[in-house]
Amino acid sequence: MLDGIFVGLGTAVMPFNIMMVVVGCFAGTFIGMLPGLGPISAVALMIPITYGLDPSSGIILMAGVYYGAVFGGSTSSILINAPGCSSTVVTSFDGYPIAQKGQAGKALALAAYCSFVGGTVGAIILLFAAPALASVALSFQSGDYFALMVLGLTAVAAFSGKGQVIKAMMMTVFGLMIATVGADVMTGVPRFTFGNIDLIDGVSFLLLAMATFALTEVIMSVMKGQHLEKDPEINMAALGSMKLTKEEVKEVAPTVARSSVFGFIIGVLPGAGATIASFLAYGMERNFASAKEKLKFGKGALRGLAAPETANNAASTGSFVPLLTLGIPGSGTTAIMLGALIAAGVQPGPRLFVDNPDVFWSVIISMYFGNLVLLILNLPLIPYISRLLAIPRQILIPLILFFSITGVYLVSFNTFDIQMMVFITVIALFLKMLDFPMAPMLLGYILGDIMEQNLSRSLVLSDGSLAFLWERPLTLTIMVIAILVLVMPLISKVFGKKKVA
Amino acid sequence: MVITKDHIGGLAFLCLSAAYGYYAGDISMIPGDEYEPFNAQTLPKVLALLGCILSIALILNASRNGGERLSLKGYDFSIVVKLLALVVLFGLALEWFGFLISTVIFLIGGYWVLGERRWKILILASLPFGLFIWFALSQLLDIYLAPGRLITMLFGV
Repeated sequence: MLDGIFVGLGTAVMPFNIMMVVVGCFAGTFIGMLPGLGPISAVALMIPITYGLDPSSGIILMAGVYYGAVFGGSTSSILINAPGCSSTVVTSFDGYPIAQKGQAGKALALAAYCSFVGGTVGAIILLFAAPALASVALSFQSGDYFALMVLGLTAVAAFSGKGQVIKAMMMTVFGLMIATVGADVMTGVPRFTFGNIDLIDGVSFLLLAMATFALTEVIMSVMKGQHLEKDPEINMAALGSMKLTKEEVKEVAPTVARSSVFGFIIGVLPGAGATIASFLAYGMERNFASAKEKLKFGKGALRGLAAPETANNAASTGSFVPLLTLGIPGSGTTAIMLGALIAAGVQPGPRLFVDNPDVFWSVIISMYFGNLVLLILNLPLIPYISRLLAIPRQILIPLILFFSITGVYLVSFNTFDIQMMVFITVIALFLKMLDFPMAPMLLGYILGDIMEQNLSRSLVLSDGSLAFLWERPLTLTIMVIAILVLVMPLISKVFGKKKVA
Repeated sequence: MVITKDHIGGLAFLCLSAAYGYYAGDISMIPGDEYEPFNAQTLPKVLALLGCILSIALILNASRNGGERLSLKGYDFSIVVKLLALVVLFGLALEWFGFLISTVIFLIGGYWVLGERRWKILILASLPFGLFIWFALSQLLDIYLAPGRLITMLFGV
C-alpha cells in the first residue's frame, strides 16, 4: 500500500496536476457560488476539458471542482442567503444569521476550517477504507456486480425523500431505458435507433449530463425570472474579522469531530450524498445541544454552522469510496465522474486499485491537496471571487449556455448533438416542473450498460436460471440488503400509521 | 378529482413505457439468439414492464399523497422558447457559417433575449470573447474547426 501512496503522491505533486487542483478549486468556487448551479453542473461543465487530459489529471481537476463548488455554495449561502446547491441549504440556516450580525468573515472562516477538517478526516479514512474494500471486491463475480448495481439503484430511490421514492425509481428506469438506445453491447444489433445513423452510438453521456444539468438548470432559472433579480449588494468592508477566538474553537471542536466521521459514513452509503449528510448532522447536533443552546440554532449558532459544513465535505469524500472501489457512484456528482473515467478508458472498480494505482492514489491524495488549496488560497480570496458575482446575469447566462453546448459539440463535431440537447432539455424541463429528480436518471443511464452485461453474463453462465441471485451467499446478502432498502420506507410508513392510530 | 403533478407524470411515463415496450418487440436479433436466455430484447422488455408498473403505482398513489397541482403561474415560457430556438439556430449556423460567426451571433442573440439592449455591451461581450475562444481552439489547441458550408461555397477554401 505504501508503494501505491508514493505513486499517487508522485502523480499528485506533478506541477500540472497541482495546477489542476488549484484551477479546479477556483473554477468550482465560482460556479458553486452562482445560485442554481451546484457541484453536479460544475463537474459536468468540466467533462469536455478532461477529454484532452490524462485520466488522473482529469479526475483530479474534477475532484477540485467538486470541492470548490461545495465551498462556493456555502459562501453564497452565508453571504446572500442563496445556497448554490442543495448540500449547502443547511449552511444558510445559521450561516446567514451570523453574517447579518456583521460577522460574515468569521462565518466564512469557520465554514472553511470545518470543510477542511471534514475533508481531511474523510481523506484519511478513505486512505484506509478504500484499499481494504477494493481487495474484498476483487473476489466479486458478475452476479455480485449485478446485485451491487441493483443495490446502488434502489438506494438512490430510497434516499430520495418523502413522496419521491416512486418518482426516483421511475427516473432510474428511464435512465436505463435511455442506456438501451444504440447498438446492443452484446450482439451489436441496433436498438431504438429508428433508422437514424446518429443514434447508433447511443445518447452520449456527456450530452445527457450537460442537457439535464447545466442547460436545464440555467434555463429553469431563466424561466422563473431569476435573471431579473438583483443579488443583494455584498459589502466587502463589512465582512468583519476572519479570526476565531479560543472559546469558539473549543465550542465547535467536538461538533466537528462528530460530524466528520458521521458525514463520511453517510457519504459512503450509495445514494445518500452531501445533502443528506448535512441535514442529518445539523439535526444530530441540535439533539446533542442543551435546551438553552437549542434556542440559538437558526439564529446564528456556531455549532449549527460547523455541523453541516463539516459533514457535507466529509460526505463528498466518502462518496468516492463506492466509486473507486466498486465502480458504483454514490451520488449524482460521482456518477458524472464515473462517466468521465469510463470515457477516458479507465474502468473504476476493484481492478482500478490493481490496474491503475496512479489514478486511484493520486485522486485520494489530491483530494487532500484540494482541501489545503481551499483553506490557504480560496479563503483569503473570497472577497475578490465574490466580486465576479457582480457580472450581470444577462451576460453570464448566454456564456454558460455557450460553454455547455460547445462542450458537447467540440467532442463529436456533430450538430445533430446540439439539436438532441435541445430535445432532452425540453423533456428535462417538463420532468422538473413535475418534481421528478434528475440524478437517478443519470445514475441509471451510467450503470445501464454495465448492469446489462453482468446480468447477461450471469444468465448465460447459469443457463437462464435466476438461481445465481441466491446461490452465492455474497450475492444473496447484497440482494437482501437491496430489498430491505427498498421496502424499509414502506414498512416504516405502515408502522408509523399504526402508532398514530 | 384533482389532477395533480403525479397524475400527469404517471400518465406520461405510462405512455412512454408502453411505446418503449412496443418498439422493444421490433428489435432485430441475430439468428438463434431468440433461444438464448438473454438477448437484445430481454432488458428492454423487463424495463417496459417495470416502467408500466411504476407509472400505475404513481397514478394510484397520486391523489392519496395530496400532491400539488401543476401551476404554470410565474413561469416565463416565451423566453425559454426564444433561448432554445437560439440554441437550435446556433447548431444550424455552425454548419453554414462556421464557428466564429455563429458564436458571436449566438452570444449577441442570448444577451438580447435576456434584455440587454446596449449595442456597445452586446458587441464588447461577444466579439472579443468569440475571437479569443476561436483563437484558443484553432490556433493554440490545434483543433480543426470546419469552415461553414456557406464560406466554402463563397470563397472555395
